[in-house]
Amino acid sequence: MPIIETRELRKVFRSVKRTPGAGGALKALFSREYVEKVAVTGVTMALEAGELVGYIGPNGAGKSTTIKMLTGILVPTSGEVRVAGIVPHERRSDNARNIGVVFGQRSQLYWDLPLIESFELLRAIYDVPEARYKANIDYFIELLEMSDFLNTPVRQLSLGQRMRGDFAAAMLHDPKVVFLDEPTIGLDVVAKEAIRTFIAGINRERGTTFILTTHDLADVERLCRRIVLIDHGRLIFDGEVDALRDTYGTHRTLVVELSEPLDHVEMDGTEAELTNKTLARFRFDRRTMSAETLIRRVADRYGVSDVSIEEPELESIIRLIYREGHVEGPHDEPGGP
Amino acid sequence: MKLRVRPYLEFARKAFAREATYRMEVFTNVGSLLVRLYLMKAVWTALYAQNAAPAGVPLHAIITYTTIALLMSLVLEIDGTRMIRDRVREGSIATDLMKPINLPLYFFSDGAGQTLLHALLILPSLGLALFIVHIDVPAPPVLLAFAVSFALGYVVNFLLNFVMNAVAFWTLETFAIQLIVRWVSDLLGGQIVPLIFFPGVLQRIVLALPFAAVYSTPLLIYTGTIAPASYPAAFAAQLAWGCGFAILATFVWRGALKRVVVQGG
Repeated sequence: MPIIETRELRKVFRSVKRTPGAGGALKALFSREYVEKVAVTGVTMALEAGELVGYIGPNGAGKSTTIKMLTGILVPTSGEVRVAGIVPHERRSDNARNIGVVFGQRSQLYWDLPLIESFELLRAIYDVPEARYKANIDYFIELLEMSDFLNTPVRQLSLGQRMRGDFAAAMLHDPKVVFLDEPTIGLDVVAKEAIRTFIAGINRERGTTFILTTHDLADVERLCRRIVLIDHGRLIFDGEVDALRDTYGTHRTLVVELSEPLDHVEMDGTEAELTNKTLARFRFDRRTMSAETLIRRVADRYGVSDVSIEEPELESIIRLIYREGHVEGPHDEPGGP
Repeated sequence: MKLRVRPYLEFARKAFAREATYRMEVFTNVGSLLVRLYLMKAVWTALYAQNAAPAGVPLHAIITYTTIALLMSLVLEIDGTRMIRDRVREGSIATDLMKPINLPLYFFSDGAGQTLLHALLILPSLGLALFIVHIDVPAPPVLLAFAVSFALGYVVNFLLNFVMNAVAFWTLETFAIQLIVRWVSDLLGGQIVPLIFFPGVLQRIVLALPFAAVYSTPLLIYTGTIAPASYPAAFAAQLAWGCGFAILATFVWRGALKRVVVQGG
C-alpha cells in the first residue's frame, strides 16, 4: 500500500475581493465579491514507503498547497488524500506524529534557547521514549557533527548549523514521512553536501519517505530517482529523472575549441554561436543528428583543436518544460499563499 | 485525544528560561515600576493637599492601592499570547499546527511560564517600593481572598489578550487595537484610578465592565472596599467574565483555525 496517496486532489481558494482602505473594508462587510483561485487541481499520485521524490515546480505552481494538504493544515476542496493510512485534515494530530517537516526558510527551533533544549522540548511534544530519544540524538549529533554547538543559543548559530539542528529536530520522533521545503537554500557547497548526505543516509538506513520541494535541481539530481513536476496546479510529469531526461532533454551542445580565431560560425540543423573568437557552441537535437556527424561536419569546415559535448542539465530541461508548457487544456491562474 | 500534561509543563519551563535570558528587560521593568510609583505618589499627595479625600478614601489607602496595582501590573502586563500574533504574521503558525499539541494550551503554558518569572519580581519590587511608600497590609483572610481574585483576574486578562491577538488571523496586525484596549482597560479597569472615584451611574457602568474583573476587584478586596460578605458575588462576577471570554475565545479560535485550514490563511 502506498504511504502517500492522493486522488484528483483539488484546492480552490475563495477570497473576498478587497478594496484598499477603511472604506473598502467596510464595503466588504456588506457586499461580498469573491475571487476564486485554483491552486491545485487533478493531482493524483502514489508514493511507496522509502521513496525519495522531488516535487518540483515554479513559484506559485501549487507545491506548498499540496504539502499543506498532506500535512493536514489545509482542507482540500475535493479529492482524496491519505498519508500512512490517515486522512490528514481529519486527524491532524495523529498525522503529525507520522510526519516531520523541514523548512529551509523557517526554523522550528527555540530561538533564545540552546539547541539541545529545543530537542528536549520536541521529545516532550512527541512523547519519544527515553531510550529512543537517546539513541536518535546521539546518532544525529554524530552524523550532523553538532556536538560543538549543542549548547549555543539558536540565534547565534550559522545558517548551516541551524539547518542541521532543524533536520535533527524533524527526525527525533522517527517520522515515516518527511517533507523538505528548500532544505539547502542559502547554504554553502560543503553544508549542502552534508545535508544531502544526511538525507540519503536516513532514507537508505531507515526507509524514511522524503518529499523534497526545491528550486535547487542539484538536490534532485543528487538525491531523487523520481520526480514529480507541477505547474499551474496540475501534474505535468511523474516518473524517473532519467526518463525525464530522455523525453525532454533531446538537445545537447557541442563545444568546439577553434584552432584559429573566427568572427562567425554557422551549421545547418544547429543553433551556432561564438562564446569568444576561439570557442564555438553548436546546440543540436540528438534525434535528428548524431554527435559523430556534427563533429565531422564542423571539422570539415573549421580548424578544430578540441571538442566536448554538454549533456542537458536537469535545470535547462525543466526550464524548457515550464516555458513551452507541456500541459494540455486551459488552466486557471496559479494561486495560493 | 487524551491530554498529556508533560509537554505543557515543558513549554512553561522553556518560556521561563527564555524570559530569564532577557535580564536587562527584567531589571528595566522593576526600574520603570519604581519611577511610576514615585510619580503616582507625588500626584496623589498633591491632589490630596488641595481637596478633601474623594469618596472618603484617605491618602494612605490610595497609595496602598496604587502600589499594589503597580505590583500586579508586573504580571498582568505580560501578554503571554502575543506569540499568536507574531507567529501568524511570520507564518510559523503553520509549523505549530503540524505538531500534535493543543495550541491554545501551548500559548497558555508559555504565557504562564513567562508570568512566573515576572511574578518572582514582585517581592523584591515590593521591598524596594517600601523605600518610597508605606502601604497597609490587611488581615491574612483578606490577603487570601485577594490572591484568589488576582488569579481569576489573571485568567480573564489572559483570555482577553488571547482574543485580541487571535484577531491577527484576520488582520495580521493587532497593534492599534491592542493599544486602544490597553488604555481603555487601564483606565476602566481601575489600574490608575480606583473605580469608586467615578461618579454615580458611570461608576456602576465601569464596575460592570469586564475590565474591572482584572484589576479593580482584587484591589478593592485588598483595600477592604469589598467587604468579606461581598466576596462570593465578586468572585462570581469574575468567574462569569472568565467563562464568557473563554466561550468567546473558543469561537474566535475555531474561526481562526477554519480560516487557516479552509482558506489557507
